Amino acid sequence: MRACIKAGIGVLVGIVAGLSLVSGLPAETTTGADVAIVVNPDNNVNNLTMAELRKIFRGERQYWSSDSPIVLLMHAPGARERAVILRSVLQMSEDEYTQFWVAKIMRAEASFPPTAVFSYAMIGEGIRGNRGAIGYVSAKAVPVGLKILQVDSLLPGQAGYPLH
Amino acid sequence: MHRSSWILGLFLLLPVGVEAQTAPAEQEQEIREMRARIAELEKKIEGMRADKESGQIALDTPAPADPGEQTQVAAASAPTVGEAAEPGPAQDHPAEHADPAETERPFPNLHFRGFGNLNFSATDDPTTKSGFNLGQFILHVASPISRKVSVFGEISFTAAPGSYTLDVERYLIRYDLNDYFKLSFGRYHTPINYWNTAFHHGLWLQTTIDRPEMIRFGGRFQPVHFIGMLAEGVVPSGALGLGYNLGIGNGRAGSIARAGDSGDINNGRAVVVSVFSRPRAVNGLQVGGAAYHDEISPSPALPGNPSFRELITSAHIVWSRGAPEFLTEFAHVRHQSELTNEVFNSQAAYIQFGYRLPGVARKWKPYYRFEWSNISPSDPLFAVSDPTVAVRNLAGSTVGARYDIVSLAAFKFEYRHTARNPTDPLVNGLFFQTSFTF
Repeated sequence: MRACIKAGIGVLVGIVAGLSLVSGLPAETTTGADVAIVVNPDNNVNNLTMAELRKIFRGERQYWSSDSPIVLLMHAPGARERAVILRSVLQMSEDEYTQFWVAKIMRAEASFPPTAVFSYAMIGEGIRGNRGAIGYVSAKAVPVGLKILQVDSLLPGQAGYPLH
Repeated sequence: MHRSSWILGLFLLLPVGVEAQTAPAEQEQEIREMRARIAELEKKIEGMRADKESGQIALDTPAPADPGEQTQVAAASAPTVGEAAEPGPAQDHPAEHADPAETERPFPNLHFRGFGNLNFSATDDPTTKSGFNLGQFILHVASPISRKVSVFGEISFTAAPGSYTLDVERYLIRYDLNDYFKLSFGRYHTPINYWNTAFHHGLWLQTTIDRPEMIRFGGRFQPVHFIGMLAEGVVPSGALGLGYNLGIGNGRAGSIARAGDSGDINNGRAVVVSVFSRPRAVNGLQVGGAAYHDEISPSPALPGNPSFRELITSAHIVWSRGAPEFLTEFAHVRHQSELTNEVFNSQAAYIQFGYRLPGVARKWKPYYRFEWSNISPSDPLFAVSDPTVAVRNLAGSTVGARYDIVSLAAFKFEYRHTARNPTDPLVNGLFFQTSFTF
């Protein structure tokens, strides 16, 4: 028992020492236009809180209502908008996001990861053609025919808007 | 043990070499992909040029260079509820003629995933031998057959002396009504234990090499699998973020390490209830508890042919963010003989810390786990003569590090120090594992 405790203390000391060695590294930053959350115009939701948005993008909330499943559209890796969602909403790295969905599917909480889209055209048509779809685009280039949601009661461009 | 330690020491140096060898390969792959992307863009530009000359416009890039002409600009004054929803001829994005079906999935569709691992172990326990062993080969299948109905399956191939055993680990169909109520039927991972449902056969998913002993493969302390029906969902609870599982099924088989796949051993159904909270304010935190009740009729029968009432209560606190990672679970198992009314109480717990290092060291996650169990020595369901299946006392520490080679494969290195009963010798061991998903 005493040996166990000693081993535990040794590990904790090692962790602290390791952290002190690698601390001070610059954090990853992203700059650019706000990212707008967009849905089908028939969707009667107008505002989502960051917590609600996080639940949707984590696949924890899968339905708008009983007859309307949420269809998540994610930009493919490499898009700046995706990086904003990962950082601001999910608070995950690209690797963590991949691992998160592998785990979620393994637990049978979802059947597949969010659909990856490669262009604004796909986002536009995907959302216009599906009442339950939700996606995101640069606020400077929102495809017409999509409804822009408020996030924490703020629109893109307003002071304090969280997705940028 | 000594020689094996040197061998394992060599493995400890392996990640450095692997990184050096894989980095150029990854760069080459990246360069190939970039070249392909450039070629594709050049082709598109040629097409656009041709279209422009013929009086058309075709723009299909993720970020239009001049979005004002083809898109709306979201701003504080922008309409939020579909005022610009009707795409007028002057506003419409001429390029947005992608097929909506591209973002929809036909039903049924089938998704495969696999998990695998290979292990090396060396201990100073004279009853075991050092060496490599092939871990389980897991195939996981998920198939939505409609928007609200999905089928999941999981099979395992496990190396055994002289053969491989094939087992259906999970097999279920789930009907989703909404987020609050999802009903499924089949064979599950019993939601009595966080580790059991969160990681289970996906060893790559878990930070450590092995599970805590309280929920180990083939273990008897808690029922790992459950056959029956399960309702699950979230509870409208605002900031608390409550969720639940409620199941009824066959519970343990005659051999209590197994579930009653082909039928219950008696007429007493097992019932499991679990509740958890994922507080809105603390992203990554989960707190929960569960209760499980069953009637156990051991086979072969014990003297007097007693059945036992089993009540398991458990609790967990999990902080699942990698920096830091924190997991702790406690379980209390109560068995009561229906023949003598004698009660046997046993407990087990573990606590685990991990920390994903930041910056250039982010592929490394050192970790530590302490686990403990206090098993009733007279419990006839646990105190069996075969030491390989007996549930015994434990106090042990695990110290290790995980190195993620790529995002879907990892190396893990561990040292374990384990004490059983006062009369048993202390056991020290070194372990290595590579685990992956594909």
